[in-house]
Amino acid sequence: MALKERPKPYLLPEYCKGCGRCLDACAKDCIHLSDQINPLTGLVPVELDLTNCNACGLCMDACPEPYGLRPAHEGEIQDFELEDPAKLFGVKPSDAPEPVDMPSEVLPLPRTEPLVIKGTYASALGALLAGCRHVYGYPITPSTEGAELMAKFLPKLDGTFIQAVSEVATVNMMYGTAGAGLPTMTFTSSPGFSLMLEGVSYMIGAELPGVFVDVMRGGPGLGNIAPEQSDIKLACHGLGHGNTQAITLAPSTPQEMLDLTMLAFELSFKYRNPVILLGDGYLGQMTGKVQLPETMIKPGIPKWAVYGDAMHRKNVITSIFLTESDLEAHNVHLNAKYEAMQVEARAESFLCDDAEVVLIACNTPARTAKGAVQELRHQGIKAGLFRPITLWPFPVEDLKAAIQGAQRIVVVEASAGQLEDEIRLALSKAGVHQFPEIESVRRMGGVLPQQSEIMTRVLGRKEVLA
Amino acid sequence: MSKASVFYDKFERHSHGEGLKGHATHYCPGCGHGLAHKYLAEAIDELGIQDRTVAVSPVGCSVFLYYYFDVGNTQAAHGRAPVVALGHKFANPESVVVSYQGDGDLASIGLAETVATAQLGAPITVIFINNAIYGMTGGQMAPTTLMGQTSSTSPSGRNEYNGQPLKMAELIAGLDGPVYVERVALYDAKQRIKAKKAIHKAMKLQMEGRGYSFIEVLAECPTHLKMNPEDTEKWVKECMEPVYPLGVKKDLTVDPWFKRNAPCFKGEKILSLAGATSEHPERHCKGFPTHLAPNDISLKLAGSGGDGAQTAAMLIARAAISEGFDATHIPSYGPESRGGTSYADVHVAEDEVLNPGSPDPQVLIAFNAPSLAKFGPTVRKGGFVIYDSSVVTDAPVLDPSIRMFPVPFTGIATDLGKAVVKNIVALGALQAATNIFPKDTLLGAIRTALKDKCALIPLNEEAFAWGIKSVEALDK
Ligand SMILES: Cc1ncc(C[n+]2csc(CCOP(=O)(O)OP(=O)(O)O)c2C)c(N)n1
Ligand code: SF4
Ligand code: SF4
Ligand code: SF4
Ligand SMILES: [Mg+2]
Repeated sequence: MALKERPKPYLLPEYCKGCGRCLDACAKDCIHLSDQINPLTGLVPVELDLTNCNACGLCMDACPEPYGLRPAHEGEIQDFELEDPAKLFGVKPSDAPEPVDMPSEVLPLPRTEPLVIKGTYASALGALLAGCRHVYGYPITPSTEGAELMAKFLPKLDGTFIQAVSEVATVNMMYGTAGAGLPTMTFTSSPGFSLMLEGVSYMIGAELPGVFVDVMRGGPGLGNIAPEQSDIKLACHGLGHGNTQAITLAPSTPQEMLDLTMLAFELSFKYRNPVILLGDGYLGQMTGKVQLPETMIKPGIPKWAVYGDAMHRKNVITSIFLTESDLEAHNVHLNAKYEAMQVEARAESFLCDDAEVVLIACNTPARTAKGAVQELRHQGIKAGLFRPITLWPFPVEDLKAAIQGAQRIVVVEASAGQLEDEIRLALSKAGVHQFPEIESVRRMGGVLPQQSEIMTRVLGRKEVLA
Repeated sequence: MSKASVFYDKFERHSHGEGLKGHATHYCPGCGHGLAHKYLAEAIDELGIQDRTVAVSPVGCSVFLYYYFDVGNTQAAHGRAPVVALGHKFANPESVVVSYQGDGDLASIGLAETVATAQLGAPITVIFINNAIYGMTGGQMAPTTLMGQTSSTSPSGRNEYNGQPLKMAELIAGLDGPVYVERVALYDAKQRIKAKKAIHKAMKLQMEGRGYSFIEVLAECPTHLKMNPEDTEKWVKECMEPVYPLGVKKDLTVDPWFKRNAPCFKGEKILSLAGATSEHPERHCKGFPTHLAPNDISLKLAGSGGDGAQTAAMLIARAAISEGFDATHIPSYGPESRGGTSYADVHVAEDEVLNPGSPDPQVLIAFNAPSLAKFGPTVRKGGFVIYDSSVVTDAPVLDPSIRMFPVPFTGIATDLGKAVVKNIVALGALQAATNIFPKDTLLGAIRTALKDKCALIPLNEEAFAWGIKSVEALDK
């Protein structure tokens, strides 16, 4: 076999940092430090004298710069004359093909009888029907059953369930799979969600979709495992560092756990942003009637993904923008997205049209409040319920309509006022400053407001505070 | 041989590719990162996997690895690169994923991710640049900083109060997950050739689906060692290498095993996993049991773990839904470790359960004395209390409008030979005491629940019948 002639080294001084690592690599003493500073780089490059060079290549292996010492191509200029780099190397950054969207498909599902399942299972089924086959998680009560169901079902669907070493690892596995353009989700609960927030900020920064089902429990700290609406503030205003927002959905029935999980995937891909589904411990555990949809999704691959194939080779997933103006522009872009998300605001108004007393509640407390509304109506009191389904964006237009005739507003929540703060902020931003004094029925620590407490509040106007 | 085509022809992402930056790295002169990049690029090129490669950039000086490599790129949070890599690998098992990390990233903040990923053993390649310092943040102590080595956070030299240098290659090689672990260096031509080969091999093992590889590269950071590049090479050889001995730490011969099918998107498969059917259940109710409540019946079942209260509650909910009503069931248990108390709130509504909690139930089924004592007084006037008279000897005195049904759940079940069917006895008693649904509705729910254990159906039917009989006997 004839030995192919090995190329000798070649160097443009502009791309030499003068580190000298090539000097002692050459046994033939071909390389020397120049005695002149290169005016373009301000560095002292090396000079080559290839008279004794045997093309061993060792100097090239020693040079840390991709365009530093490199093999001379046939016919390539062999002197150190300054050349236009664009001409030398070409300006095309990558020869990978231009990526295109591979759209997801909507597949028909046969109509079935309603299931009787718990909220976490409903959410897990919703995720499967939304096309999610990659679930990562770390056990935490009261969300774990969702993950357990995924661990059981996903292997049968050739999907992936991995129990991560922590919530930090969980969210970053999601970052990887989402970066590859596929739907991914996790089940967690308050302390776990807190731990994921760094990753949520990165996902928002890098514009990655992903669904977080947070079955909220009592806090702060380890708190307890009973239901609390403890993470409204976190989801609406605290998603890690920086300018971060995400659509936050608040189901109140097992059926909505399924429907809103499916919606979460759709919105998450539509906006390239995480979506948070806040359930409460009751809802996660609660079994109810769940009707499966008539269609399901087979996901495609979006054009921005880093899937690990030729089509997507050009792409990068990153949240770093080193130049201030670039990062500002990125934030302006994110803000425009957050603005566009406002149309996703959703709410349910129950008997609000003529309501003089409007209760406001979400999640399980909204069901209790609905019971109270019926009871109050029986007693001849014109009561209604306003239930935000998205907590961010807050459905303020619907709220304005719901409280139009209200003489009293009573916020019913299992937290120290996190929902009330959202209401106040939304009204204030919408320029609504005239509204009845907000009264409240609040429980904390894993206790849900009871219907009797709502009745007492409305009928007796007595403080009901834990 | 040509320059590795795996580097972009122009580094557009490096300061928008302006001026010399379009073809020069951001690394300091003599930095070891550049060499590791070069060998990785060559390996990708030689193996012909440029299109399949996904490189995960860390946080550290190599945060901008994606400026240079013309492959799929993802930039990860500090320390999280290996799990981001896993996320990519499982999304596309055909991809070849590299997690490239510094010592602060891999051995400090990301230690849990590092160890867990190595032990998981899925085929990815980890390239670990050990330069014994935090380069990017300005020369602070790293977990790999040598004893006595000065850094900006160990200004008088690392001492015993800062702990000992962490030997990652040995640690990772001690795990069962990895197939190949080697420590290499860059300080002379011989070491560089070994480094190249190791990186090539680590990529190849992944490509072939054989497993996880870890290459630790002893690298130079002339800037923070405050030495010229030549002296840094010497320092790595003379000071670092004795602490971090070079060589292969683990090299298993493993057959390719990482083969994953494409995920299934067959609707029928999901439906069958979910237990969904198109069969209409038979309906037996003439209408909503308004003799109990106009449109919403509230029940509570209370006992301790193992009594089957939750299963019974679930069966009531299923029975209701099979009749076209709405129903909810909320379980609640004692503390996180199961086995203590076990309570269930059940609602059955004609249209929609508005409030699923049962603080004041119309029907209480109590499986033991404490449950009866606790919830008996909450039962609404005119309500029903059904309890296990085998274990409750002293029933509390409740409002006279409340009807009491002592039924020996445990006794009957034990006589039938299986104590676990006491909850089915209770359901029979519920049926006879309240006529909430026709017998066939509840029996239908029981049979459906046991459709995979048909052999148990007769026993359960018998238990149900005995529950009914006991209540009827009370009425006589
Ligand atoms: C959560 C978090 N903590 C701290 C930092 C700051 N930080 C950036 S790089 C780095 C250390 C990098 O050192 P190493 O991983 O050894 O990389 P090198 O620069 O030496 O290659 C630190 C602490 C960060 N970016 N994120
Ligand atoms: S190829 Fe070998 S002989 Fe020629 S300059 Fe480089 S190291 Fe020296
Ligand atoms: S190794 Fe490369 S960058 Fe360093 S002096 Fe030699 S040619 Fe210049
Ligand atoms: S600071 Fe050190 S590790 Fe970072 S680029 Fe400079 S030499 Fe390399
Ligand atoms: Mg370092």
